[in-house]
Amino acid sequence: MRLIFRILYVLDRIVLRLRHQIPHRLTPAGLAVSAGFIIVSVTALDTDNTVAYQAFILLLLLLLVSFPFVFFFKGRFLAVRSLPRFGTVGHPFSYRVVVTNLTPKTQRGLTLLENTLDPRPSFGEWMSAEEAGRKRHSFLHLSGRLGEIPFKVARVKEAEVPSILPNKEAEATVELMPLRRGVLRFHGVILGRPDPLGLFRAFAKVSLPQTVLILPKRYPLPRIALPGTTKYQEGGVTFASNVGQSEEFVALREYRRGDPLRHIHWRSWAKAGKPIVKEFEDEFFVRHALVLDTFTDDPRNELFEEAVSVAASFACAVLSQESLLDLLFVESQAYCFTAGRGLSHTDQILEILAAVRPSGQKRIRTLESLVLDHAAMVSGCVCVLLAWDPARQDLVKKLKALDVPVLVLVLAEAGRAKSIDPGPLRGGPVRFQVLEVGRIEEDLANIG
Amino acid sequence: MKPPPLLLGAALLFWGWQTGFLIPGALMAALLEGARLIKVRWELSEEDFSRLWAFCSVLLLAALVFSFNTYVGLSNFTGRGRNPILFPQNGAGQAGARTAIALFRWLPIIFFLFVAAQSYNSNEQIPRSTLLRILRWRWRKADKRASPEFPTRGVNVGYPYFALTLFAASNHAGENSRYFFWGLSLLTAWALWPQRSRRFATLIWFGTFTLVIALGFAGQSGLGQFQSFIGGLNPQWLSPTWGRRGTDPIQSRTWLGEIGKLKQSGTIIIRLQPEIGAAPPLLREASYRTYRLQTWYSGSELQNGAFPGRRRKWRGMLQRTNATALPFFRPWFRRNEFEPLMPQTNGTTWVLLANKTNTSRVQIACYLEGRTQEAEPRGMLPLPTGCSRLDRLPAFGLRKNDLGAIYAVGPGLVMFDACYGPGDTIDSPPGTNEDLDVPNDERPALEKVAAELGVEEKGRDEVLRAVQRFFEDRFEYRIWQEPPKDSDTKETPLSRFLLQTHSGHCEYFATATVLLLRELHIQARYAVGYAVQETSGDGYIVRQRDAHAWCLVWNDRTRTWEDFDTTPGSWVNAESRRASPWQRLLDAWSWTGFELAKFRWGQSPLRQYLPILLVPVLALLLYRILFRRGRTRARRPAADTQPPVAWPGRDSEFYLVERKLAEGGVLRQPNETLSHWLRRAAMDPAVAGVNGPLRTLLQLHYRYRFDPRSLGPTDREELKRGTHRVLETLNRQN
Repeated sequence: MRLIFRILYVLDRIVLRLRHQIPHRLTPAGLAVSAGFIIVSVTALDTDNTVAYQAFILLLLLLLVSFPFVFFFKGRFLAVRSLPRFGTVGHPFSYRVVVTNLTPKTQRGLTLLENTLDPRPSFGEWMSAEEAGRKRHSFLHLSGRLGEIPFKVARVKEAEVPSILPNKEAEATVELMPLRRGVLRFHGVILGRPDPLGLFRAFAKVSLPQTVLILPKRYPLPRIALPGTTKYQEGGVTFASNVGQSEEFVALREYRRGDPLRHIHWRSWAKAGKPIVKEFEDEFFVRHALVLDTFTDDPRNELFEEAVSVAASFACAVLSQESLLDLLFVESQAYCFTAGRGLSHTDQILEILAAVRPSGQKRIRTLESLVLDHAAMVSGCVCVLLAWDPARQDLVKKLKALDVPVLVLVLAEAGRAKSIDPGPLRGGPVRFQVLEVGRIEEDLANIG
Repeated sequence: MKPPPLLLGAALLFWGWQTGFLIPGALMAALLEGARLIKVRWELSEEDFSRLWAFCSVLLLAALVFSFNTYVGLSNFTGRGRNPILFPQNGAGQAGARTAIALFRWLPIIFFLFVAAQSYNSNEQIPRSTLLRILRWRWRKADKRASPEFPTRGVNVGYPYFALTLFAASNHAGENSRYFFWGLSLLTAWALWPQRSRRFATLIWFGTFTLVIALGFAGQSGLGQFQSFIGGLNPQWLSPTWGRRGTDPIQSRTWLGEIGKLKQSGTIIIRLQPEIGAAPPLLREASYRTYRLQTWYSGSELQNGAFPGRRRKWRGMLQRTNATALPFFRPWFRRNEFEPLMPQTNGTTWVLLANKTNTSRVQIACYLEGRTQEAEPRGMLPLPTGCSRLDRLPAFGLRKNDLGAIYAVGPGLVMFDACYGPGDTIDSPPGTNEDLDVPNDERPALEKVAAELGVEEKGRDEVLRAVQRFFEDRFEYRIWQEPPKDSDTKETPLSRFLLQTHSGHCEYFATATVLLLRELHIQARYAVGYAVQETSGDGYIVRQRDAHAWCLVWNDRTRTWEDFDTTPGSWVNAESRRASPWQRLLDAWSWTGFELAKFRWGQSPLRQYLPILLVPVLALLLYRILFRRGRTRARRPAADTQPPVAWPGRDSEFYLVERKLAEGGVLRQPNETLSHWLRRAAMDPAVAGVNGPLRTLLQLHYRYRFDPRSLGPTDREELKRGTHRVLETLNRQN
């Protein structure tokens, strides 16, 4: 069986390679002629009833005559790309590429194509996606193969390059649509020169490796009053650089070893003749835990991508509310990232979320121990879950038993929201919301 | 990407000319190209386009059903039946191809409404989301689950429709086909002209395209010859097949000598409905004359003495490899040729014997499961002995041989009335040699049995009675054969049956009877077909395991062939015991398949009404589309009463320069100001020469466009003249 999947994987790689390269090599007119040629070749076999064989010959010759021109292009170029640092899934952006012509000839009619990383997955990733797909659909699920290329991070439009004089430069504007979160790697740019009939492109490749981090999609959230109150934070003022309740003066006392020098009250020292320091109220902040469920076998799981988007939306919303946020998830190991109040910023949390990957091997118990360890510190907890099975319900019950206010968000496939029952949480103090794929924005609006 | 003006109109005219739809083609061309003159536009929404697409899809389905009904339907078969010579040219295999070709030819009409809606839409585009829904076959969740797309307003489907029209135009083989290549080349060149690379001179483009056309013209005639060459080949793997019933009218290999249990299924293969008189007990498919090495042949042995079975060294090998030896034997037998039969003027009545009075009539439904080289269904018709006329038989053609076998080519399922009665049959009178022929290797056993019977000096009827009694009393029906106890290669299976085992299935009895009668100087033939014994409702059914063999005996007195079956009556019970416990379920399944086959092969009246059923669906769809549009149109005048805002400077000639430079590849980005774009354009060597005048013109354009005081008459004139001067310069440089 594994051998069959290995063969299918090789075939899939070939198809993906062709799907990646053919649109570069062929112009839109060339694609149309090729498609016409394939269609006509079916009916051309019947020379008794149709004259399609004449079209077959004409289209074949158009392709045959045009193709040799791809081998004759001696362009030399330099290119400089001005890329932004981040992009966001679903939000197109454009950037400039300055191309310098290093040949003694004016270059006209060039097309700039981006040479991004080949989107072909490894066998392990492919196999995981296939197995997950088979569980959801049927044996050898091939749905979606005709649509977007799986694992492709972004779609880049080809750009027309203005005519470039010898040893001069010209600027092209490239549009890019991020499709998936993660690191988008550019290998270089390709300058395509069409043949006289305008069907094929000859390539001049310029190495120009660069990366852009594609951040997860984010949903607008209503003003959310997250559960919980302020809590004593053991780290004290290190968590609160200049705002909050930490500046609240309480009393004076004698200096103790280790007190910060800036807390010394100089006038009292002068009076008392020994170091006196100001004493402050203990540090009380609002600190939330954002728990992200990563337990899925499918590396292309749509629910997981949506869960990351929901988590990113909460991260942005919470960090703008002067509080601390602990992002808790399990990948190859358990992670806890804290942000807010000067520790780190929203973009750093988003960078982490852009790179988070599903944890196929680990069990949810790993996440449970991580969350329960943090439960004493946090004011409240937002759980973004991929399912509502007994293991996950158990985690929420334990948080509830510890008196941690919890907001539970469960992702559901489109049309399956009603099948998810809150169970023991129905009518209870724990807030429970099902987010259905396709209408997540509307569902999020309900939790405001 | 929008096609150049008049291209779609020219393609539609070309399609109309080539396929014989010139008037519809001209009308459609006029409507599409008329959109350039008619300024009225609809505001079609995405939902409107979705509905139009749904309507076109239903139209496509209706066209499919209609063409299927026209080219594969009953009426077509009936029409073909009038000309039985049309076997290879007008077969059912070609009917499928013709269905597809007819459908392809109508494609421009089917999708015209969709393209016309685009032409008369306000922005002359189809919303991109509609196309995505169509391409992804998702109608409900496309918006919510689709991958992110670049924000574009829509897509022009002009070029795809152009390609569709040319494809449709190629689906014909009429007189105009010699002009097809030239028209196609011209239209393709026209379509590709705007897509050419500006990097190369126009002359190079023309030269390259001319080369393609010249090579194509030479190649397309060569391809036609190659196709003819391939079509002329007749390899072995293209040889015809005979299907599940599998009766070969030329030879019949028996299971004589096979060891083990015969396996026959309970699949229903023939259904009978007696209309006048009782059902016939036997349905014959073919009869044979010559018996050699466990195989019956319809022809007689050639007299050149070359038959390898005569030689001792071949015999043992051929007996052991009987199954594979059949094609090897054929060349040593004279073929029994089939002669075509002509139907009556109604096309479905076939007279086999003229001037014969029929006393019975039975409706027979059977499958033609064999395939000719042209993939047409074919098979032998199972007919009662004495059948003289076939009514309501929608066959392409019938042929008969002089042994009474009727070979039919037609739909995969035929239902017809067989009229029959006692008396004459369509079999030829007996030949002196062929119908008394006994193989030498069987003769010793037969002589022994004949001597045992002791009827050599008696009359025909007494002989027949004695033979019948002989098999009834001393033999039993058995489908299990054990291996021979001794390995005497001279002993044949038949002699072992006659002298030792005294048990076997119907082929043993029929072969032994034929040869024994011949040994007793009575002409006989070997017949194969089916026994009719199982009732089903008012009619009868025949299963595959009812396959039977018997013998035909010549009656000198009446000068007819008569059925003579010596297989013990116990064979019916023996076969019935082999019925599967799931027989009823399988019969229900078989009935479903039969009803579907009736529909498929035009034997059901439902099929004739199917196109009529589609009419209300189409009408409803069209009504919904028109009704909704009517309401929208009624509301629109109120909304349109607001005069369009006339922004100043919209008629500035500077836009001509922008368009001209865009054609040369210097496109202005949506977020780019004219001054920034002009700075970028100045790097182009073609623009460098006019950079100075362009900057002056840009200042005038900005004033004309945004200055509340606008331009004075002198400056306005200067903008106009300066622009034309720049355009002339740019044209000269190109």
